[in-house]
Parts: sequence; C-alpha cells; structure tokens
Amino acid sequence: MSEQPVLRVQSVSKRFGGVHALENVSLELNPGEVLALAGDNGAGKSTLIKIISGVHQPDEGQIFYDGAEVNFENPHKAREQGIETIYQDLALADNLDVGANVFLGREPLKRMFGLPVLDRKRMRNEAAEALRVLDIRINRFDLPLRSLSGGQRQAVAIGRAIHWKAKVLIMDEPTAALGVPEQRKVIALIKSLKQSGVGVIFISHNLVDIFAVSDRIVVLRRGQKVGETATQATNSDEIVRWMVGG
Amino acid sequence: MASIPLDDTVSERTTWASSVRVWVASMRAWIFFFALVIGFEVWARMEYHTTFLLNPFNASSIAVFAVGPLLLALGQTFVVISGGIDLSVGFTMGFAAVVFSKILNATTGAVWDPLAFLLAAAVALLASAIPGLINGLLIAKLRIPPFIGTLGMYGVARGTAYLLAGGTTVPISNPLVSFIGNGSLFSVPITVLVTVVITGAMMFLLSQSRFGQHVYAIGGSRQASLRAGINVARNTVALYVLSALTAGIGGILYTARFTAGAAQAGEPLLLDSIAAVVIGGASLFGGSGTITGTVIGALIIAIIQYGLVFVNVEPFWQFVAVGIVIIISVLVDQTQKQLSGGRSDE
Amino acid sequence: MKSWHIKAGLFASLLSAFAGWSDYAYAAGKKYTIALIPGLTTDAFYITMHKGAQVAADALGVDLVFQGAPEFNPVQQVPVLNAIIGRKPDAILIAPTDKEQLVSPLKKAVDSGIPVITVDTFIGNGRYQTGTGEADFPLSYIASDNIQGGVIAAKALAKAIGEKGKVYVSNVKPNISTTDQREQGFKDEMKKYPNITVLETQFNDDDANKAAAQFQSVYARNPDLAGVFGANLFSATGAANGAKQANAQGKVKVVAFDAPQSIVSDIKAGNIDIAIAQHPAEIGFYGVVTAYAHLIGQSVPPLIGTGFTVIDKSNVDDPNVKRFIYSD
Repeated sequence: MSEQPVLRVQSVSKRFGGVHALENVSLELNPGEVLALAGDNGAGKSTLIKIISGVHQPDEGQIFYDGAEVNFENPHKAREQGIETIYQDLALADNLDVGANVFLGREPLKRMFGLPVLDRKRMRNEAAEALRVLDIRINRFDLPLRSLSGGQRQAVAIGRAIHWKAKVLIMDEPTAALGVPEQRKVIALIKSLKQSGVGVIFISHNLVDIFAVSDRIVVLRRGQKVGETATQATNSDEIVRWMVGG
Repeated sequence: MASIPLDDTVSERTTWASSVRVWVASMRAWIFFFALVIGFEVWARMEYHTTFLLNPFNASSIAVFAVGPLLLALGQTFVVISGGIDLSVGFTMGFAAVVFSKILNATTGAVWDPLAFLLAAAVALLASAIPGLINGLLIAKLRIPPFIGTLGMYGVARGTAYLLAGGTTVPISNPLVSFIGNGSLFSVPITVLVTVVITGAMMFLLSQSRFGQHVYAIGGSRQASLRAGINVARNTVALYVLSALTAGIGGILYTARFTAGAAQAGEPLLLDSIAAVVIGGASLFGGSGTITGTVIGALIIAIIQYGLVFVNVEPFWQFVAVGIVIIISVLVDQTQKQLSGGRSDE
Repeated sequence: MKSWHIKAGLFASLLSAFAGWSDYAYAAGKKYTIALIPGLTTDAFYITMHKGAQVAADALGVDLVFQGAPEFNPVQQVPVLNAIIGRKPDAILIAPTDKEQLVSPLKKAVDSGIPVITVDTFIGNGRYQTGTGEADFPLSYIASDNIQGGVIAAKALAKAIGEKGKVYVSNVKPNISTTDQREQGFKDEMKKYPNITVLETQFNDDDANKAAAQFQSVYARNPDLAGVFGANLFSATGAANGAKQANAQGKVKVVAFDAPQSIVSDIKAGNIDIAIAQHPAEIGFYGVVTAYAHLIGQSVPPLIGTGFTVIDKSNVDDPNVKRFIYSD
C-alpha cells in the first residue's frame, strides 16, 4: 500500500439549495483496496459517489485520479477513464444476454460483405473471459439476463467493469437485494476484485458485510466525515457510534 | 481461489416440461401460421374440393394484401421494442400518399417519367419523415408519453393530409408508377419485391447493427442505456423517423397500386399493423420482438382475412378470429415470461 | 373558395368540440340561416352537395352554414350536430351517419324548434311525417333513390356480363342506410336474371386494400366470376385493383357507385367499367329549397328523389355526362 492512491478526494463540498449535502470531505483510495463508506440515510454517501462518478460536480474541492486533477462533466467521461459504478439496480438490460450487457453502449463491430455488423461472437467470448477471470461460472451465455439469478446478474455488472479495465469500482449497496447465499457470493467476488488490483468503494448498511470485505472504513454523518479507521483496528460498536453521533 | 458457483438457479427452473412450453411460446407465431395454412387447406379440400395452399394465386394475393400493414408494422416493430408505440403511422402513410400524388402530377409530363417518380418519392419520404421527427422530439426531448405524442401527431398528419388533398382522392396518371404498383417481375408483384427488400434491410438494421442493439437496450432498461452512455434521445428520434419512413413507403406503394393518393389510405391499417407486431412476439412493454416475427404476424392476419373469404365464412368472423389470435399471443407471451423468470419491476 | 370551406370545416369541427361556437352574431332579421351537416366533410360527394346547396342559398338570400366531422361516424357527427343546435339555425339539413343512433340527437333539434330535413341518408326507415313511428319527425328526405341506384347498377352489370354468371357486392359495412339500400336494390333486381348468381357480400371497412384482397379470394375460388358491384368508392376501386392484380381486368366487370374525379381515369384505363353517378348538387339544391319552402309556410313533400347518370367508356367525355362527376 505504499504506491500512490488511485483516487483522492480533497475537501469536497456540495450544496443543494440551502442544504449542505457534503461539507469538506476528503478521502483516499489505494489500488487493491476496499474502502467501505458507512453512514445513515442522508449522511451524504450517495452525493459523494455521484460526485466521484461524474453525476454531480463539486461546489468546492478537487478530485485527483491517477495523480492528476479531474473534472468529470458526466458519468460517461468518468467511465471512459476507468471509474465504474455499479448501482443498486445494477443498470443492466434484462432482455439482453451477458455479452450484450458487458458491451452495452460500446458494442464491437466487424465487417460482413462490407457492412458493419455487431460482433456477437467476440462479445460473448470476451464476456465469458471477463467472468472467468473473476472465477464466475455461468453456463448459458445466450439467455437474457432476466433468467439469471440476482448473484449472477451482480457478477455480470462486475464483469463489465472488469472488462473495461476499471481502476475504481463504486458499488452502491451491492448486497441489498440479494438473499443470504448470494450475498456471500458477492462478498467473495469483491475479494477477488481486490486481488486484481482494483480500488473498490463499497457502500453498505450491513456492518457484517463491511467487516467481511473492507480494508478501511470512512463514516459520514450529515455531510461530514466523522471517522476513518482501518477495519482491523475497530469494531461495529464504534462504527455505529460514529454513524448515529454521540 | 475457490470457484463460485452461480449457475444453480437456471438449472432449477429448466425442467423438461417447461422447456417445451417455452419453446412453444417462442415459436407461437410459426405455429399459428402453419396451423392456419393447414387448417384452410383441409377446409378447402373437404368443403370445396379445391386447394388453398397449392394455388400460387392465393399466395401472391395474400402477399400483396400484407404489403400495406407490413410496411407500417416494420417501423412499428422498432418503436414497440423500444417500449413505445406509434399511433400516427396510418395517417403518415396517407400524408405521404397525398404528397406523392401531388408532386407526381406536378412533374409528370414536365420531366421524364422515372425522374418524376424518383422526385415524387423523394419528396414524399422527406415529408413523411417530418411527423416522425416531431414524434421523436416530443417523446425524447419533452418526455411526452409515446401514446399521447403520437396520438397528437395522428390528428395533425390526418388534418394536413386531408387539407392537402382537398378532401378527396388525388388520381395520378404515370404509366411507370402504375406498373410499379401493379406489375410483376419474374411473376412476383413489384410491390411485394420492394417490401421484401425493405424487410431485409430492417432485419439487418434491427439484428445486426449497433442501432438495433440500442433499441433493444432502451426497451429493456432506459436507465441502463443512459448509464451505459447510449444516446437514448438521438436513438429515440431515429426510430420514430424510421417508423414514419416505412409508413411513407407504404403510402407511395398504395398510391402506385390504386393510381390515386388518399389521405385515409393507412387509417384502417394501423390496428392491423400493431396486431402484426404483437402476434409476431413483441411485447408492448418493450425489450423484445423481431422482424421475422412481425412478418409472420402480418401474414397471419392477411391469411385469416383472405382465407375466411376463400372458405366463404360469414365476414364478421374475420374480426373475431384476428382478435382471438392476438389474445392467445399475449397470453402465451406472459406464460413464457413467467417461466423464464420474468421480472415485472422494470 | 372550395378549399377554404374545407379548412374552415376541419378547424371548426375541432374547435366546436372544445369551445362551442363563437358568437355568430346575426341581427335577428328576416334572413334565414340553414345548416348543412354532411356525413363527412372530406368527401367529394358532400363537397358537391355543398356547392348545389350554396347555389340555392345565394338565389334565395339564405345564409348557409356547412359543418361536419372528418369521418363518416355518429360518434363524431353528434357533437357537431349538438353545436349546431346550440346555435339555433332556422333549419338543419343533415346526412345522418347511422339509421338508429342519430334519432334521439335529431329529436333534440326538433324539440328545440328547429326543423330537420335529411339529405342523402335517413333515420328510421326513411318514411317521414307518417304519424306512426318514432323516427318520422324529419320534414323530408331528399336523396338519390338508393334502391333505384342499386337497380340501375344491377341492370348495367347484367347487360355487361351478358345476363349470366357469378357476381357479388363489395360493400363498406352494414347499417349505413344508403349502401344497404344499394345492395338491396342490386340483389332484388338480380333475381330477375335466372342465370346470374349473387355470391355473399364482402364488407371491407372502407379499406381498398381489403376490398382488393377480398376480390382475389372470391375470384380464386370462383374463377368464373363475372362481375362486382362496388357500393361505394373504395369498395369499387379496391375490387377493381383486385381484378387488375388477378389479370381479370375486363373479364370481370366492375360497377362503381359514385363518381368522383378519379373515376374518370379509372374508366378510361379500364379499371372500372361502369360508374353510377348520383346528383349530389341536386340534393343540396333541393335541400335548401325545401327548407326555405317550409320556413315561409309552404308544405313540402316527405320524399324527394334525385336522379342518376350511368357513366362508361362510351360517354365519359360527353359534357352532359361530365357535369355529374363530383367536383373537388
């Protein structure tokens, strides 16, 4: 962990109308590190990740990515540079197959009789490869995602990020919609991501999950950072105390 | 690293009986198609000692009959897959028919016949793109629900077409155009040939192009498409323009065939065209459908209407029969969704 | 002038649905206002009727109001009628779009003191002022005798096919008084020809494409088909196109009812063999005259029949025939 952080958020503030959604928040994320973002509803977690992923722009403060200051006008720009976000609802097209989802919006083309056509074989093969790297098994690549389980769908969303060489992966409540066995699978996935050197920001309500995967925990309350600690050096009582205040 | 098995749920769901039912559901248009053709053949043989299926005249008549509804349905397929609906296509077709005949009358005699045709067709297509463009902008930019936006355009296109035509049909007289409308090449009607070519192009566009893939994606999840960086607004405008263009081609072929442009030309075809898309397997909730399915759907409707006249059934049964096919199609579609773990939350 | 009327009609029929009428402030003088409500505004037949009515109105110094719906459909016609009733014209001339559904809306007009005359189509059984039925309250029915029109069509077709063979009627949809009567007249007359068989009627919903397919289907099973009677424009042009597609042009005779401009080229090209032209201008003219007669206290006949002209290739260019082609 001696290398430079892949992402550095420096004294960022954001107001909506008169409300301070974020006030002077700073954090760092290292490659291969899982940073858990904890906090109650309205603490500013989602405003913070939306700023990192380019949905919102900060009123004050800076963001450094890969050592350089960045200013993403929209999420597309952030994605192009390698900051991928996996939303709670996954942002997958349920009617399309795995390959089409991994390549959604960036479909590869090939030439057939001089005409540009979708290269479905490549989409399927490379999607399979991305999932293989994560050690995920899906036995049918031609089925629409709606026929896959919640955990498999989560895996496709993560696989997509991996395929596009994400350096920072933001996961918003990745386990919230899943049953217990599938939650475990996702936790295992995050661990394997970590080994491939991706920096992960992990947002969760579930302290058990947070303690299971994270290296470091940042706690937000009412738009301010109220605590930061290595996961090994704390316990859930302390985190809860920071979250609720007092 | 331990392997993470994630494939359990699918295998649980896929029992032998349910895969048969899923297969039946996905092939329903074909099953209907063959059932109808065979049904009429048996009926014709038993009752009238004649053949339905083996009479090439029947095949050619049905093909010509299906041209109009199919052209409207081709563009409609894209719109329905994207999760929308285009109620304005009927009058866009009429509008194009009237524009085409007006321009043709103005140019025939003044210039070489084929040139007059090309000129009139080009202007008619451009004119028909206008309602599509407005539809697309209303829906994509102002976020007006497709049903409402295209319903408004239905009125506008209709009024404009009637005004332009002066409230009557506009006869044309250009031998080349009349040949396009009623002539044959290699004993296939030209209108059918034109439709086959356009159908092929639409099939390619929907199944092989990035645009087609994005149409599916938008219909599957608008949110996911936006987040994936797909230009949803531009694609939406493009697909309503496409829908208007296929309707415009329908209007040109109608005029060529009946040697007169009529504002109301496409009006009776609107519902048949939507029915063709649905029978062909598209879901009105968006995300699914194919051009092949739509072609089969349009043929099914044409075969029912033609076949029932052929076997001399009371005319009103035609409506009943088409209605029943639509209802069965939708029911089968829902069964299929449930079996394959369809989710209704998106 | 013509296109202005159509525009006004379209716009006003839209507006009337929302706003009612803007005040049509006429000094309540001696000048009568007569409203003409056609079956639909976008049809050469009614446009020609309007012209005839306008000639009579100008001659008599009457204000003529022409308002209607863009489609032949009671659901759209009734609101227009109600808006007209609200304006209290001195008389209403109307082509009712349904025999039954227009009865009570028209009763409202009569109840509020506006006399009603039906033109082209009728309500009930078309026999008015008999003191018997519910729907006998209109003063007069002025139209081509559509049964007679059907008879004329049958005679012309029978002659064209040498009084033998199979024929059928291509019709719009049932329960429209005029097309029902044409079919009835046609079928009754055909009974006089023992060698002519009338097949089942085909209803096409005013869709030429469907009428064409129906022709081809009937022809496929009856290759000895000799003739078709198209009971209105699209029924006839559709059947004619079916014959063309089937290479049966000339072999199967097509008789069309009504004669808009496009019929001329269809007859010349041989798509349609015979057209039965009504005299809509006559209907409009006598409609206004009859209403005026009633308003100034004259009695009027309950039924006025106007004439027909049979048009075929031999006389289509004759100026005496040409004047019965509907104007647009």
